[in-house]
Amino acid sequence: MGKVTIDPVTRVEGHLRVSTETKGGTIHQARVAGEMYRGFEQILAGRDPLDAPVITQRICGVCPVSHAIASSRCVENALELPPPLSGKLLRNLILGANFLQSHILHFYQLSALDFLNIEGILSLKTRDPQLQELKGWVVQELDSNRILPAAPFLPRLKGDYPADLSWTQNLLSHYLQALDMRRKAHSMIALLGWKVPHVASIVPGGVTCTPTYGELEAFRGHLYILRRFIESVYLPDVMATAKQFPDYTRLGTGLRRFLAFGAFPEAEGDWLPSGTVDSRSFSSLREGEIREETAYSWYVDAPEQETSLPDPEKEGAYSWIKAPRYGGKACEVGPLARLIVAYHAGQPSVKEMVDDCMNRLRLNHSALKSVFGRHLARALEAQLLARRMEVWLDQIDPETSHVAEYVPRSQGSGSGLIEAPRGALGHWITIAEGRIATYQCMVPSTWNFSPMGGRKDPGPVESALLGTPVARDSQGLEAARVVRSFDPCIACAVH
Amino acid sequence: MTLNRRTFLKDAAFLVAGMGLNVGWTPRFAEALELLATGRAPLLWLQGLSCSGCSVSLINSEAPGPAALMTRYLSLYFHQTLSAATGESAVDAVNRAIESGDYLLAVEGAVPVGMPAACRIGHEPYSDLLLRAARRAKAVLAVGTCASFGGIPAAPPSPTGSIGSDVFLRQQGVETACVNLPGCPAHPAWVVASIVHLLKKGIPTLDEHRRPLQIYGKLLHDQCQNFALYQKKEFSTRQGEAGCLFKLGCQGVITHADCPMRGWNGGSSWCVKVNAPCVGCTRPEFSRDPGYAFYRLNEQGNEGGADA
Repeated sequence: MGKVTIDPVTRVEGHLRVSTETKGGTIHQARVAGEMYRGFEQILAGRDPLDAPVITQRICGVCPVSHAIASSRCVENALELPPPLSGKLLRNLILGANFLQSHILHFYQLSALDFLNIEGILSLKTRDPQLQELKGWVVQELDSNRILPAAPFLPRLKGDYPADLSWTQNLLSHYLQALDMRRKAHSMIALLGWKVPHVASIVPGGVTCTPTYGELEAFRGHLYILRRFIESVYLPDVMATAKQFPDYTRLGTGLRRFLAFGAFPEAEGDWLPSGTVDSRSFSSLREGEIREETAYSWYVDAPEQETSLPDPEKEGAYSWIKAPRYGGKACEVGPLARLIVAYHAGQPSVKEMVDDCMNRLRLNHSALKSVFGRHLARALEAQLLARRMEVWLDQIDPETSHVAEYVPRSQGSGSGLIEAPRGALGHWITIAEGRIATYQCMVPSTWNFSPMGGRKDPGPVESALLGTPVARDSQGLEAARVVRSFDPCIACAVH
Repeated sequence: MTLNRRTFLKDAAFLVAGMGLNVGWTPRFAEALELLATGRAPLLWLQGLSCSGCSVSLINSEAPGPAALMTRYLSLYFHQTLSAATGESAVDAVNRAIESGDYLLAVEGAVPVGMPAACRIGHEPYSDLLLRAARRAKAVLAVGTCASFGGIPAAPPSPTGSIGSDVFLRQQGVETACVNLPGCPAHPAWVVASIVHLLKKGIPTLDEHRRPLQIYGKLLHDQCQNFALYQKKEFSTRQGEAGCLFKLGCQGVITHADCPMRGWNGGSSWCVKVNAPCVGCTRPEFSRDPGYAFYRLNEQGNEGGADA
């Protein structure tokens, strides 16, 4: 029996520790732990309800937009302040642009180095000036007497990196291109009138910006370039990488239980549906089934609805992340969950796209529930979303107001359930005497990276790691690939 | 790699203009950029109680772009969000960097002095790691409001007892100079310009909160596009309405930064431009007073509300 601990897991947001035990060459036990806590829920108590979107989006610098919207929606529900349709559509565009930047960043900057042989660049014969420059830099670095040559790209973990030079060259060159693409997606957010990270104009009631036709068309121009990148580079890269790693279209399956809160409201309701899929059967979402457990988390066990107090000395606990459960069960959330829920809810564009992709890869649909299933789901969602954003863009009328008039109320309670790039996100608020009485966030990575719950049932990532074969001299690369396929965001998971 | 002198001059000119310096500084900045590029100025980046927003902001850097920053400009010994090294090899990279010393240390996120277990890297409390790394650093660059002053993690009741890096290091007797670059997040150009300044000219002229005067020397209000509206008393009274945002709670009158002149995300926008009041994110007091709402809509004679 061997033990491998990966601490810190890098190329993820935040502080994550993963420990595994192997028996007979495969992982038979895994524990994931969030290693950072700030206490946002306590900090919010007693503040003005309109502070909530400003404060909560600072839970996470990668997905602030999702928190701003979930937070605004819970305040809107508590104060009965429905935003106008154009406010919702503008939020969709901002959230959509952040999905695109997040998914692109995840595949290239955060995950690709798990698969890519970066030293392969030394054998490249290329005319791409950017790659030539990168190659020159690596050569110079390796020849230098620096203590960490070619950091942050080296050192890396030992493992089975493919020798295919043309695939290596593509992925390397696209790693560089993706940096510009994700920045462009952020510029789109700013174009509509923001700065990002931490947007300024999403408020309870809508959005405060008033984009002109010129700004909307500039947004469309950027969107077109991103769409082309997703269709001709990002999705093909994920598919080509999946072909290099057939094992990882089977590994990292996990719970096979999926949950989605629904997202991107349109006039007729959410574009991506809410619901759960458990062993292929779809059910609609019941908010009352959501609970959070703290048996193995560093919090004082408290009754529902009360803000949890930290207890870093708690006996038996091993993570700052709590354990959300739906109907008492752990669930996977995220792009794959959204895709599977939409597929089983019968969303035609999702069905068609998924069937086509799996056919082209000559893979059975069960291969979706894997490491590469998650990467594919992200890329497919990005493609679908980039196309849908053009529809929303056409529906914005710059002449109308995008925000409802604020009417103060001194009490109320409400929830804001949406989808963040990494999955189902919920904010809950109660307001008393005009101030926040209690505030709760359950964030996608809280679901996916949850520790064991009250019945010692493992969280989704802990389950997905089980059965992963590892090399005898493994430094943890196999486990890291499974873990990163969930796109960890630990500042979100704990907050 | 053949390094192109003209690229450095071009990027240096951009930086010099951005910092409002005389163009005469351009060659010296180009030289500093070249120094960075030849790897004589390694950078170690550590994260405490952070949201990674300042790192995400840094890779939004326009000129130099993120790829150039990582290869031509910085020798990035370690960055939790970007490094290939993971687990043991990551801890090893950090330790090797610290052992060699003489790097710039960039820190992101607050220091949980009241609860060291609130942040651990390789099972070591962040506060201990920060001490080790700061002692051997040439200078410390506190990137963002959390690293500078504690930020939201330090807002009451601050269950983690968080404080800013500079205060923490002084309390622990570390003498390495610290420059604060508050902002939620910090603007990428502030970070790049300050690194160049540190390398070329040493510690920039700082204000009482150890913020570079070049960036934080002026009141936002004095540079605001709505300044004329303020003088004409044309105030916005509800969300999304045009007008000076002072009465909605805009903190531009007490906040120091160059946002109105610089703009964010490629210079296209900033908070006030989209009718959103400045929340004072570069102030040491940012978010620290729960009684001081960002939007003062509940304080305009409406108290009690419609359903009270």
